Amino acid sequence: MSGSAIAGWRVANARRMLASLAASGALVTCFAADIATGPAMLSPAAVLRSLAGMASDPMLDAIVWSLRLPIAMMAVVVGAALGISGAVMQTILNNPLASSYTLGISAGAGFGAALAILFGAALPVPQAWSVPIAAFVFAGVACSLVAGVGRMRHATPELLVLAGIACLFLFQALLSLLQFLASPEALQQIVFWLFGSLQRSSSAKVAIVGVVLTVVLPVLLTDAWRLTALQLGDERAGALGVRVGSLRLRAFVAVSLLTGAAVAFVGTIGFIGLVAPHVARMLVGEDQRHLLPASALFGALLLSAASVVSKLIIPGTVFPIGIVTALIGVPFFGWLIAMSGRRS
Amino acid sequence: MTQRPTTAAPAGLSRRSALLLPLAAVLPHRARAAIAPITDAMGRSITLPASPERIVIIFNFEEFTAIAGPSGWERVVGLGRKQWAGYRQANWNRYRAAIPRLDSLADVGIADDKSFSVERTLSLRPDLLIVHEFAYRSMAPLMQQIEQAGIPILAIDYNAQDPAKHVASTLAVGSAMGTEDRARALADLYLERMRDIARRVAGGKASKVYVEVGSAGAGTIGNTYNNAMWGRMIEAAGGTNIARDRIPTGWAPMAAEAVLASAPEFVFILGSSWTNAPNAVRAGYDVDIDTTRRTLAPYAERPGWQALPAIRNGELHMIETGLARCLSDWVATQYIAKQLHPDAFSDIDPVKSLRQYHEMFLPVSFAGTWMARLRPPNA
Repeated sequence: MSGSAIAGWRVANARRMLASLAASGALVTCFAADIATGPAMLSPAAVLRSLAGMASDPMLDAIVWSLRLPIAMMAVVVGAALGISGAVMQTILNNPLASSYTLGISAGAGFGAALAILFGAALPVPQAWSVPIAAFVFAGVACSLVAGVGRMRHATPELLVLAGIACLFLFQALLSLLQFLASPEALQQIVFWLFGSLQRSSSAKVAIVGVVLTVVLPVLLTDAWRLTALQLGDERAGALGVRVGSLRLRAFVAVSLLTGAAVAFVGTIGFIGLVAPHVARMLVGEDQRHLLPASALFGALLLSAASVVSKLIIPGTVFPIGIVTALIGVPFFGWLIAMSGRRS
Repeated sequence: MTQRPTTAAPAGLSRRSALLLPLAAVLPHRARAAIAPITDAMGRSITLPASPERIVIIFNFEEFTAIAGPSGWERVVGLGRKQWAGYRQANWNRYRAAIPRLDSLADVGIADDKSFSVERTLSLRPDLLIVHEFAYRSMAPLMQQIEQAGIPILAIDYNAQDPAKHVASTLAVGSAMGTEDRARALADLYLERMRDIARRVAGGKASKVYVEVGSAGAGTIGNTYNNAMWGRMIEAAGGTNIARDRIPTGWAPMAAEAVLASAPEFVFILGSSWTNAPNAVRAGYDVDIDTTRRTLAPYAERPGWQALPAIRNGELHMIETGLARCLSDWVATQYIAKQLHPDAFSDIDPVKSLRQYHEMFLPVSFAGTWMARLRPPNA
């Protein structure tokens, strides 16, 4: 009996290892492809020469080092951040449709960015920083609105989801109001910002998202077993000694940091946060010790793959990444749902 | 001229980029010889190569042609193609017939649909990027990447519809291209004509004017203009813009009943050769006046418009939408002013002005319909 349980655990573990290895391999491939491709149509040999520091052509180095590398790294760190934040949201709200996009956190960030674009001239900070900072802050505001509802008595996960959806509509309306009032050039700036794009990446921005990621993920992992217990329902988790309220609050802070950092620099890219945790869950299961890193891995993989595809659709042009993630993500998601339906 | 902190002088930029990006590219070797800094339309002082030979330009192509001459395009390697070939196809066809090189230029994308690509631009190894102020501000992070790669950006601004910025833009492009004389002639002509209009309309009646974009036809209320583009031109022509401070932004549709209540005495519908716009008011190089009038006529039949003073008095006009925010927009201003103050402009023929402008500065000949009344006078 116990022998077969151990054998079962070994099989599951091997499957997890295999899935993670395969995904890591795919991520490395996508990352390399992301650096190798681009509208400048450089030859792979030229890119390698530049990477090895052997190119004598400053323009080649500028394209590879100042554009492609930050973009490729940004796809990985932002994808990972969105993947983790989606997994945490889905866990603490016990709802498969939760993500920072569907529950208004991204909309909050968008509103913050628009606010800074319109009124940022009055701030002592240059706009290049006031906009991401405001986006970050308002992702936090949106998160605390939802978390605030969670502090109410009798707050159920359903109520939190409703609060998130209300939050989405609230910030969308506020954003539309700002767009309605904006001058044409400010409007264009807001639209440009909201439009999810990796093209604005720089090494400094990659570093900021990377730091947030490396701080938040280990902290979240210390809560892994509590988050796993939460899947049994609030009451049972409570019976196991989990202080559900403060766990949710901590998780919300983590989500707000991850989403805020990601959205602040690339705008709103949907779907990654929703779909990456589902892929991860299918392959490594519900145990948060594995689910959180796997969600990061698949989020990174999805966004990195989307970044490559966005450059291949029309050679010489970068297709908008937000369109690519949804157009690839939706059929993939449909397939996943069909597969899981067949299994159950 | 106000300057935002993000628009630093190139010396500061290169120093900063040297810190941030040790691998930032430097200018192509042959372009090292720099000329004295020139001031662009945003008031930024930029240092350019003595004779830029690899230019990328994403807007105001016809202004560039007028200032640099058709031979100026021989030094251009890339453009924002959709802005011209896509949005103003009839013009593009005329210009590429006159300047065959246009067809072979690389496309770097445009600001409007966010297709502008820094990588594509850098791969062309440009020594000068010419953008409009709107693009410089709305794509600020991308412009920063280009500046950090050591490529100077010259910002022009005809969109502001401000004569001072028209002049600054024109002279800056003239200095960059070494065609200072043409630039000076264009700038002087522009200022002289605008001053002439101001003199003639001074003290006249400030009639109420309404402008609307006719790209979707009479069944849809198109944008009108606040204190921007056509709104500013109405005021320069001695009129009162009924949409001034009545719409929240620079341009937006004005509510139908607000237009009726304002009782405009003159209505100008903006036409063009838009593609995929079956109901649009047609105008431009390839359009005859009958087509313009046929496509303009439905506006007079809009609910309630028969009661407008403008319609009752036969003051429904069409102007080609491209005659704003450009070096020849004084012609459209002249046309509006002449309708509002016929006696003061009896010796002025705006269509002839536009024809002369073509003859003097452009490689394409004047043709088609650019400004017209729905019904000929006394018809």
